[in-house]
Amino acid sequence: MRIFEKLPHIDFMKWKGVALAISWGIIILCLLLARPFTSHSRVKVGMQFTGGIDMMVRFRIPMEADQIRSALQNGGVNGAVLVRYASPAGTEDYSIKVKAKEGQDSKDSTAQINKILDVLKALDPQSKTDSRHDLNTESALALSGKWYDANLLGVKGDEQSRHAVYDGWAGKVTEARGAKGAITDYSQLPADLPQPLKDMVKKEYRLGNMTLGRFESFSPSISGEWTRKTLAAVFWASVAILLYVMFRFTMSFAVGGIVSLIHDVLMALGLFVLFGYEFSVPVVASFLILMGYSMSDTIVVFDRIRENSHKPEYRRVTITKLVNDSINQTLSRTILTSLSVLFVAFCLLVFGGPALRDLSFPIFIGVITGTYSSIYIAAPVVVYWDQWFGGKDKLKQHA
Amino acid sequence: MSKRSLFRLVWTLLICAACAYFFVPLSKVRLGLDLRGGVHFELEVQGQEALEADLRDTRDRIQERLQEKAITGVTVKSDTSSVRVDGVTPETQAAVTKIISNFGGYTITEQGPARILTQKDFYQKSLKEDANKRAQQIIENRINQFGVAEPEITPSGAEGNRIVVELPGVGEAERERIKGLLSTPGRLEVRLLSKKQPNQIPVKTEAEALAYLGGALPEGTELFPELVEEPTVVTNQMKAAIRAAKPGEKKTDNVRQWVLLETKVYYDGGAITDARRGQDQMGTNTVNFTLNREGADANAKLTEIASNEGRQFAFLLDRKVISVLRSEQKIIGGGVEIKGSFNQQQADDLSLKLKSGSLRASMKFLEEQSMEASLGADSIRHGITAAVVGFGTIILFMLLWYKWSGLNAIVALTVNLIVMLGLLGSFQATITLPGIAGFALTLGMAVDANILIFERIREELDAGKSVSGAIQAGFDKVFWTIVDAHVTQLFAALLLFIFGTGPVKGFAVSLTVGVVASLFTSIYVSRFIYDWVLERHPGTKTLSV
Repeated sequence: MRIFEKLPHIDFMKWKGVALAISWGIIILCLLLARPFTSHSRVKVGMQFTGGIDMMVRFRIPMEADQIRSALQNGGVNGAVLVRYASPAGTEDYSIKVKAKEGQDSKDSTAQINKILDVLKALDPQSKTDSRHDLNTESALALSGKWYDANLLGVKGDEQSRHAVYDGWAGKVTEARGAKGAITDYSQLPADLPQPLKDMVKKEYRLGNMTLGRFESFSPSISGEWTRKTLAAVFWASVAILLYVMFRFTMSFAVGGIVSLIHDVLMALGLFVLFGYEFSVPVVASFLILMGYSMSDTIVVFDRIRENSHKPEYRRVTITKLVNDSINQTLSRTILTSLSVLFVAFCLLVFGGPALRDLSFPIFIGVITGTYSSIYIAAPVVVYWDQWFGGKDKLKQHA
Repeated sequence: MSKRSLFRLVWTLLICAACAYFFVPLSKVRLGLDLRGGVHFELEVQGQEALEADLRDTRDRIQERLQEKAITGVTVKSDTSSVRVDGVTPETQAAVTKIISNFGGYTITEQGPARILTQKDFYQKSLKEDANKRAQQIIENRINQFGVAEPEITPSGAEGNRIVVELPGVGEAERERIKGLLSTPGRLEVRLLSKKQPNQIPVKTEAEALAYLGGALPEGTELFPELVEEPTVVTNQMKAAIRAAKPGEKKTDNVRQWVLLETKVYYDGGAITDARRGQDQMGTNTVNFTLNREGADANAKLTEIASNEGRQFAFLLDRKVISVLRSEQKIIGGGVEIKGSFNQQQADDLSLKLKSGSLRASMKFLEEQSMEASLGADSIRHGITAAVVGFGTIILFMLLWYKWSGLNAIVALTVNLIVMLGLLGSFQATITLPGIAGFALTLGMAVDANILIFERIREELDAGKSVSGAIQAGFDKVFWTIVDAHVTQLFAALLLFIFGTGPVKGFAVSLTVGVVASLFTSIYVSRFIYDWVLERHPGTKTLSV
């Protein structure tokens, strides 16, 4: 199968001015809509960069956001941001974020964490009437420790082998929580769990309605460091790529490559913000991948321009024709290589769950714009650069 | 089969086998905390505290020497940056100078009758380094004794003053307790109560206590807070009452009174060889520990003084009094029992701290993350589904598009997969959720190399080249394109590796490994398959591409 039965002859460079204007227009529009650096900014930044607490709680009882919000306020937790997540039926997932105050030290944040946890625990009506520990928040380690202390099965042998027996059973109990993350009825305990253990669990544990799924807390000092680190990573990656392209090609290619790279990153950034995604360290990582990908896509076109410039039939043609022909010759592979990565990015976006969605979105956008920008950003810049600063002979000498 | 093909086949199979060794069975692959659940801490050693502790030690030692030499009228005080020896007279000057010049790490400046001792830079550096090293060791000890399986404790940070602690399988319930074990120094000291003043002062703040003593501390004494006793049995009603009253604030220290102690430390936690929780006849929790010989001697001396003079002595933990005792007789042998206000868990934790040794400085929590195991399992399911569907789509696409050559690409991709897993396994890299994404993406990018080659071969065939000529030209001309494209990706991946930690590092490792594996399979393995097919069908006129 082929995309083009015959080599296409599209005059890409004819539209280069229009294309440049439209695509930078979109970027500027996106950035204007995103309104960074203003109080109404749509840019969402994770706690890893600002310092603060970020947690995900799951209730297995009906729970309204307002209920949680007012409980937190009454408990003395101010400035909490609540977001409701999509969750399996019968459960209600909320993300709670509290930004750290300036100059907050780790003792303050520990106190704050405990405050929030106490408020959340108190939201489960069961906790008021039933003072037993909650089996759904008990870890395997603690459960196994309790069994071990009482040695309910009368296991003989040294410390280690006794621990091993109880650790195994405790692990099975926590696994029984399954996809919902909780045991909702004692009958869901593993069927082969020895009776003494089962009895103990039934007697000493209640089945609570709240679990903490994910919990993160960052001190302001380390979050500043994260910001610096990620910005440094992006900066040095650009420098490294620029230097490598300069070394392998010429200045005009390097400039073209970097401009198209900045284009792709800005486009993905703008759309990322407008779609309401939040920046986290893995997201920045995926932007770095986007940079690498965008550049390698551009290199395919550049390589062909360089190869053609050595051919006798391109000795006497204009730089525009040289670039145009090169793009046409590589068009089908540019599209195909992008498609293959696009498939994967799409699958990650659709099937990857909430955690991978944030991360694969920039790549998904980046692959599309990367393909486009190789043709309409990188190549025109090479043409302009050569027309203004060198002429095609210079390009050929260096190539 | 020609010798060359045979050699290449054996070589490829050998690499595959070597890689398989590292990841078969699949349980060898380690999962990150974001996939298996657990807690992650990043701690920072508070080096300044280690410096201050050394200043206090120096002060105590100078005081001791002054007493030994029976020099009076000289006071020794320490603050957060220096030790001040005051009241030096011309008569005592020579003796004092001799004592303080023994402290090699200190610079001595004269200020009239006072001598100021400050720590030299190299000495501060070595104190901090020592605190870092010790922190790593002690934290390992404590975690091991706590009984967490497969803990990971790694130093980090440019100054080496940070420690990353990763504990799989630990949940919300123990997080708080482990934080206590990790952050507090656990330094035990035993001192006599001063006989010069009323020992226990029933006021709540240090200022009030000072006023009570008439504004100044008697020579050779220090004030310490004693914490309020918590009832050993907390009933559920009490718990509920505490919870209802002040959420989050119940963990603050409550000072019962202030105690005036001598500065001399008879023995400290370093003399303890073993410690465990016990119970006395009344059923109260105690911590029993055993002392080494030096400690036992010091204890005998202490109890002798205490019983002869009818005085009390105190156990201090991290400069807070936890227990005040009197002794009826001199105690020989190294067994000591502390009765204090601890519940069972606190007694357990205290004995664990005493057994594992004390930190030179407390630890600050920079970062704290915990992940529930079921949520991690969820992530694995999502990640794997996405990766498998993505991989499947690519396979289908390649077969449809390039027919038999597509099969070649799939073989190359499979080898790629094996090599990637093998490299990851051999680095003992942990697989994280972004790592799975990186894995899937690199497979997508690896197939790009094949697409470039196949498209080039088609182009050469269209230009009228023979099959073998087209294959030759296809690989040769695309070689540098592939290298360039891979190198730029490698830059991004390597920078991620340098700047990232945790899950991001997992992502970077997957990508780096993927890029390397893809270079090998697209250039070496795919080429070999074509050559082999050509060998079996020499002079073929068509190529399914």
